[in-house]
Amino acid sequence: MSAAATLLPLAVVIPIGGAVISPLIARLHRTLPLIVGMIAMTGSVLVLIPPAGQVYSGSGHVVVHFFSAEHPVHGKLLGIAFAADPFGMMFALLAAGLGGLLLLSLLSEFGGLGEREIGGLACLVQLLLAALIGAALTADTVNLFVWFEVAALASYGLAGFFLERPIALEAAFKILVLTSIAGFAVFVGAGLLYSKQGALSFAQLHNSLLGGDSRVDLVALALLIAGFGTKAGIAPFHGWLPDAHTPVPGGISALFSGLMVDLGIVAIARLTLQVYGAGSGHAMLGLVTGLGITSALLGAIMALAQDDLKRLLAWDTVSQMGLLLTGFGSGTEEGVGGAAFQLVSHGLFKALLFLCAGSVVHSTGLTKLSEIGGLARRRPVVTAAFTVGALSISGVPGFSGYASLSLIHAGLEDQPVIHALALIAQVITVAALARATWLGFYRRREEEYEQLERTPIGMRVALFVVGAACIVFGIFPSEFVDRVVGPAASILLDPSGYSHAVLAGSGTVPVSTLVFDYGKASDLITTAIEIAIGLLVAVIYLRIREPRPVTWLRRLHTGSVNDYAAYLAGGIALAAGILLGG
Amino acid sequence: MSDRAAIEHAKQEPRAEDDLHRPVIGFALAGAVLAVLVIGVVDLPRAAAALPFIARHAMEIALPKWGQNEVVSEIVYGSRGWDTFGETFLLLAAVVSVVTLTRSPEPRTEYVGESMAGRQEQQEVDPKGDGSGGEQQEARQAEENEEDDASDLAPNSDNVPLGTPGPERAAGMSVVVRVGARIAAVPIAVAACYLWLWGYTPGGGFPAGAAIMGVAIVMYTAFGHRAVRPAVRPAIVEPIELLGAMAIIAIGLFGLLFKDSMFANYLTLAVPGTIRAGGTNQLYSGSEFIEVATGLTIAIFSLLGMKHDWAPDEDGDDSEEDGSGSSEDRSSDGDGSGDAS
Amino acid sequence: MIVANYVAAGILFCIGLLTVLTRRNLIKIVLGLSLMEASTYLLMVSMAYRRHSTAPVLTSPPDGKSFADLVHGDVADPVLQNFCLTAIVIGVAVTAVFLSAAVRVAQHYRSVDADDMTALTG
Repeated sequence: MSAAATLLPLAVVIPIGGAVISPLIARLHRTLPLIVGMIAMTGSVLVLIPPAGQVYSGSGHVVVHFFSAEHPVHGKLLGIAFAADPFGMMFALLAAGLGGLLLLSLLSEFGGLGEREIGGLACLVQLLLAALIGAALTADTVNLFVWFEVAALASYGLAGFFLERPIALEAAFKILVLTSIAGFAVFVGAGLLYSKQGALSFAQLHNSLLGGDSRVDLVALALLIAGFGTKAGIAPFHGWLPDAHTPVPGGISALFSGLMVDLGIVAIARLTLQVYGAGSGHAMLGLVTGLGITSALLGAIMALAQDDLKRLLAWDTVSQMGLLLTGFGSGTEEGVGGAAFQLVSHGLFKALLFLCAGSVVHSTGLTKLSEIGGLARRRPVVTAAFTVGALSISGVPGFSGYASLSLIHAGLEDQPVIHALALIAQVITVAALARATWLGFYRRREEEYEQLERTPIGMRVALFVVGAACIVFGIFPSEFVDRVVGPAASILLDPSGYSHAVLAGSGTVPVSTLVFDYGKASDLITTAIEIAIGLLVAVIYLRIREPRPVTWLRRLHTGSVNDYAAYLAGGIALAAGILLGG
Repeated sequence: MSDRAAIEHAKQEPRAEDDLHRPVIGFALAGAVLAVLVIGVVDLPRAAAALPFIARHAMEIALPKWGQNEVVSEIVYGSRGWDTFGETFLLLAAVVSVVTLTRSPEPRTEYVGESMAGRQEQQEVDPKGDGSGGEQQEARQAEENEEDDASDLAPNSDNVPLGTPGPERAAGMSVVVRVGARIAAVPIAVAACYLWLWGYTPGGGFPAGAAIMGVAIVMYTAFGHRAVRPAVRPAIVEPIELLGAMAIIAIGLFGLLFKDSMFANYLTLAVPGTIRAGGTNQLYSGSEFIEVATGLTIAIFSLLGMKHDWAPDEDGDDSEEDGSGSSEDRSSDGDGSGDAS
Repeated sequence: MIVANYVAAGILFCIGLLTVLTRRNLIKIVLGLSLMEASTYLLMVSMAYRRHSTAPVLTSPPDGKSFADLVHGDVADPVLQNFCLTAIVIGVAVTAVFLSAAVRVAQHYRSVDADDMTALTG
């Protein structure tokens, strides 16, 4: 194996090492976890750079590391392989880089916590990030399941972190129940697949599934989509997501929404496109697209109706994840490439928005949009950052969302109904964010705040860097599309190339034909119209009372864990029904 | 709806209307999922099916490559050691989560907005704040009785005659249980160590660790907290757990260093069936043993020592969930946070 | 590979799921999840079994057979057993976290009824 391949496991091991020493050194001095965390995450990024250089050279390569010196025998692999392809490497770099920034922001914001708390927080965050990097790079079903569970357990501790808020414990319980059921679904799915196909490695599975999908394979796929869909916050498995984001600090919500839910999306993309293969049957892509567009619409509508700022952003995550799945489910190069790009953009702008929201809660102690306001004057940095994030979501040219959304919409062109629904979801999203920005930041507030703490330095750094990244990706998307997004889409849509590369130890990615034309008139016009209608909807929504359908949708989300579990079970049955019937 | 209205509404709403629709829908959905699972499993290969290639391959390489008799261990610690690595840190994440969820408040040096929001929400969720429901009162009373009695009695309940209610309220259990525990603990501990060291060489770190933790629990149940406190103090056990974790990382990294592949075997293979068989697997199993035993111990004893101190009653009374002296144990760890209780 | 076991595992899974869907007591929900978890172990181990198979251990071959015969003989599937071990550890870990969360929820909400734990809705 090449030297670059040897470095791949270190990207996971270094954050884990940081996590292991955090509780101990927190006892020595409370700023030490921050320093160790920064070193660990920087180390992880640095270790990923040589393999990344190889992965993104030329038209793209796949760099493979075989664990325990177990190599494939006759095209079958007992051991575990880390396969860094352009798609996985992109997410691993995002997790390591953005994760490091978020860790910086969290630990500096909460530098005043007790020592055990700081140690525990640093440990859990680094374990979560390590799990995300591991899940991005792995090419094995059981290993993916293990990293999924590591991320889940870290998230349980993080969700219930602030023990003085009763809703934090409630959220922790709900995420526990739903993610546990998801874990069982993934476990059973992976076990069924192994029993039938005799394979744990993605590459070997793809080759053995080429012979056609039996009923076991389809049931296993349904369970896997349900399990990873829960992690991703896709409707109807999304019950935990809004609740888990409301009571946790901003940095942790940013981690959840910007990075952790992507684990589910990456897993679904790999399983549907690279293991089962886009050509295996229309029912699979149809299911993925259907789930995606439902989440996109549901999330957007619910976001428009929220009063709590963080909850609004959480519902927007549901919507964005739905949009991502729609892109992946389109099966076209633009759609898949756009979804991959949006994965990165969404990580950046959602992190930015949540950091701002978290900063607002942390300094003022207030969470509701109706209670805050007038922060444009008092907290210009936070307001500017939030505005950048809102403009990115809306897809304004010059910010990172524009390129990715245009690509996704281009990819949906041959499915007019889905395209139209995606545009509607986008309009409602714009409305929701515009309403939030106005109510939370720009609206005048006459009375002074009771408490208004200063924004800590670490958080300002994080806001600045992430905001700058949003703008940079927005102004120079073409280079990114050529070097990164194109190869990512290409490898996702070339499953036999992927499996061949993994079994051989390395491989190349076919040349991608994806281009993004910044000045394309139809994109600009569509975006302008979307934003105009979105703003109009926002203005109307601010005046009127809540419409009946929206109230009905809100009442469906009763807050009871039994009901959310029922939706999950219904989702499993629905997914299986669609796959078996199609 | 505002939070306060929602909580009041949720608590006061009559539950009669829920009584029908949830079971009906529940049965329907569970039935649907059952149908899906049954459709899936009847299609699986039947009992005469051949073993998958990779399982056969694992059996073929067990002796030549890893020098080991037992194939499942070889897969767990050898060929798929990276999965076990992930699992170890999964256990670590769980232990840290449990410790985080069961921690006691520490002094903070800064204003934290979440605290204020939390106080407001606590007020809304439980306006009376004194837990004045009937069950709460009884539970609280029972805890207080337990505390009083525990402090009256000496830890050793031999000075209370048999047949009186005394032994049930003692910090330890009756003489029968204590003798039985003393006798049982030794073979269990020896069996656990045997399982770890020999098993089928290497043995299993996981079950051995769980068994050792079982010994600690048996001693705790029979003798009360004072007897096991020296062995299970977090200040001692946590560093050992983290050492175990670091050992596992080191074992893997040396493989990366010497053989270009993480968790590859780099030790010379001994004769199968002896204690040094399996190459790195024996070391891995040993580190897992330390890690699992200490991790589970920390988790269980944190859970038992959890106090009711994040949502106290209005009169500021802290009562313990667990009767015997665990509060002293918590504060005497001396981690310098200045916590006085 | 015993179909009766599979169906039994499926039924147990759905009984556990039913508990999670219909019971409101938090501890009962935790028990339901434990039942679901146990049923998945049953499923895994049943999938590992082969007719007339022995354990995949390469010691003391019976008379007349060599190690090579054992290696190529009828054994239960070791890879699924590994998978099952992984899941057992996960199950222990998650149950511990569940119970701490349940106790904390009870302390705050003064109730173990899931319908009282609905402060976050909509």
